[in-house]
Amino acid sequence: MTQASSSRLYGAIQRRRNRGLVGLYLVVGAFLLLYAVLFPGILTIGGFSKFTQNWFPLALVTMAQALLMLNGGITLAIGPLVSLGAVIAATTMGSAFGVPGGILAVIATGLGIGAATGAIVALLRLPAIIVTLAGSFIITGVALILLPRPGGFVPGWLSTLLAGHTPVAFLLLLVILALWKIFLATPLGLAIYAAGDNPVGAFRSGVPIERVKIVSFALSGVLAALGGLFVAAQTGSGDPIIGAPFTLNSIAAAVLGGVGFLGGKGTMRGAVCGSLLLSVMINVMFFLGFPPVAQYVAQGLIIVGAVAVPARLALWRAAR
Amino acid sequence: MIDMTDAGPLLEARRVFKGFFGNPVLKGVDIALRPGRVHAVLGENGAGKSTLINLLSGALAPDEGLIAIDGRPVSRLSPATARAAGIAVVQQELSLAGELSIAENIGLGAYPRRFGLIDYGALARGVREVCDLVGLTEPLDMPVADLALGRRQMVEIAKALFRKPRVLILDEPTSSLSAHEAGVLGRVIATLRDRGVAILYISHRLNEVQALCSHVTVLKDGGVTADRSLAGIDGEGLVRLMVGRETGELFPPRRQGQAGRMRLDVEGFSAGLVRHARLVGRAGEIVGLGGLVGQGQEDLLLGLYGAIPAKADRAEIDGRSGLPANVAAANAAGMVYVPADRKHEGLVLPHSMASNILLPSLGRLARGGLRDRRAEAGLVADLARQLMIKGDVARPVQALSGGNQQKVALAKWLPLDPGVLLLNDPTRGVDIETKREIYLMLRRFAAEGRLVILASSDTPELVNLCDRVLVLREGQVAAELSGPSITEAAIVGAAMGVEQGTGPGRRAVQ
Repeated sequence: MTQASSSRLYGAIQRRRNRGLVGLYLVVGAFLLLYAVLFPGILTIGGFSKFTQNWFPLALVTMAQALLMLNGGITLAIGPLVSLGAVIAATTMGSAFGVPGGILAVIATGLGIGAATGAIVALLRLPAIIVTLAGSFIITGVALILLPRPGGFVPGWLSTLLAGHTPVAFLLLLVILALWKIFLATPLGLAIYAAGDNPVGAFRSGVPIERVKIVSFALSGVLAALGGLFVAAQTGSGDPIIGAPFTLNSIAAAVLGGVGFLGGKGTMRGAVCGSLLLSVMINVMFFLGFPPVAQYVAQGLIIVGAVAVPARLALWRAAR
Repeated sequence: MIDMTDAGPLLEARRVFKGFFGNPVLKGVDIALRPGRVHAVLGENGAGKSTLINLLSGALAPDEGLIAIDGRPVSRLSPATARAAGIAVVQQELSLAGELSIAENIGLGAYPRRFGLIDYGALARGVREVCDLVGLTEPLDMPVADLALGRRQMVEIAKALFRKPRVLILDEPTSSLSAHEAGVLGRVIATLRDRGVAILYISHRLNEVQALCSHVTVLKDGGVTADRSLAGIDGEGLVRLMVGRETGELFPPRRQGQAGRMRLDVEGFSAGLVRHARLVGRAGEIVGLGGLVGQGQEDLLLGLYGAIPAKADRAEIDGRSGLPANVAAANAAGMVYVPADRKHEGLVLPHSMASNILLPSLGRLARGGLRDRRAEAGLVADLARQLMIKGDVARPVQALSGGNQQKVALAKWLPLDPGVLLLNDPTRGVDIETKREIYLMLRRFAAEGRLVILASSDTPELVNLCDRVLVLREGQVAAELSGPSITEAAIVGAAMGVEQGTGPGRRAVQ
């Protein structure tokens, strides 16, 4: 009985959340289909692996961004954190720390910087956009001090494992999504939504909103830094400014996935779909031979459209 | 019912003082909530009711004095410790997260867990129980954002009950409830009282207080002016306790004589929820719009005002035919609208009272394209005096009491000399003295030959102030009442779809 009714309410809530995303799923599906028609190579293991490896870091940073947007915040420090993650990975893995030590160092860096940023935002009640803007300068500076020009070392076997001809990255993404799903079924996880949607109400309901915010920033930091580790494995070395484009792309992907700017609106699965959509779009345009400038313009137009179309649809439905 | 009122108080405040930015709000207030008793707190806006609630629920700490639970003083009461002690609050501002489901909202902050995860099975069972109690039949997985305001308030109440409180604090819980929902709430309160819960009930609706409560604490200017049983005291007496003097009639006398020329004549009007409504109004009339909450009253006003798409088979407003295409056209036609949500729609809160009042007339007062400060100052001073708005006109509106804010939201339109005033629940959350002033004002507007259309959730207001009342149900005019046929019974009956004689009024044409 417990099990049955448990899964019933949980399942019903999940189905309702999926229902709002049907349109997005269809669009993503259509783009994937188009991609498969244009480049059937994606249907081989190797092609699929390469495709998902291109998507993987964007998926991670989009989760990092969406996590904060759902909590009513935002971060402009995603790109610098990716760079710093890459730099730390490339400078530690060749040293006595080895690969396990390097991975731990990257996670600890992301966690520490995220938690510190979150503490500043939550406890001093400063706007996240300003604090993370300031943080982005500091983090970039630190990355440049650690590794003034691209270099460092990532063991070849790690690069082959993560960015070779096997879909390990994709499997890792599934693991991370499963972990997120479990986290969301904890009171703390759900509190991220509640505190983002209505912070005063959540506070009055007994949700420790400061702690929730700090945890959100810390998890976001870990995800972004891990994105950097992956990029380092992909390129085989560290680059102190390689993450720069990820800041705005993470916001774009989250918005494509239906995550709102005001907190509490949207879903993580939507955000991940948004990152997939953005990744496919970039790939399609690249392979179709769009000049880079046209790619940027098209990307911008598609993002505006992605926000405008659902809004107009909602108006149209309301008017009927 | 077991009489437990002799038992010691579950929650009390002893000689509490609290001030903000040097302004004392509570000056040595005592209150004791006992098990099995429904305790009313009355007072005008600004008397300190909300502050008192915040102290009792741990949201604020007193400057002096102490809060005691079960007779034991608590040194630092936080919302968390208050909840742990069984104190639940239903606040005026809703505390719900719109994207989360009904169940997730009700359980928020108190989720049953298993292995660290939310136990959705136990949550569903607990939530179903409280939902049954308050008559929430919507599916538990429904996002709260999809519910109407009144239903959300019921979720809020269910959320408080979910925690099985020993002390339940209700801050104007019925302000957005329909008559039916308010009735359900009344029964829930009686049940909890009989189970020995201590209840603190705050409402501006005196008939509710009389029906539900047995004890009252009256606050005035931060002090307690009465702490007594409600037995043997009537509405008049309650009002006297609150304002500390005779108030006279709350409602001004009705206009005598004939209504003037036709100002508004609309047939087959549809906007939002409203379908095929017929609406006429003459100069000098106050026409009420009643009904359960959210039956199209607001849509009707907004549609007439050109703020939402509307259409009509035939429309004539002050001699012009056709509905205004937009708000500017409505203003030009002499129509103005005062929204129910004055904080968001009616006022620019951080701006001064003066600039709020001037906003609609900035263009008219300008000379040679520049603002004429002297004329502006004159206008503001004149309006503040006319509407009895207290306080410095340079103060930001957010620093004013709810009543004075409402007056500012009204005053800003008067320089346009409107012929038709569309008012959406202008006395919601307004203290009784300001209510009286607003009623007087509306009467005066009517006497000056304007047409006042007044949507209201307060039935006595419709009965005592309006010359005619349209009752809406599901977007249709369910009844039109006038003269002596305007009674609370007739309005509530029509609103709930109970068939009864509607007197000389017409039935709506489909």
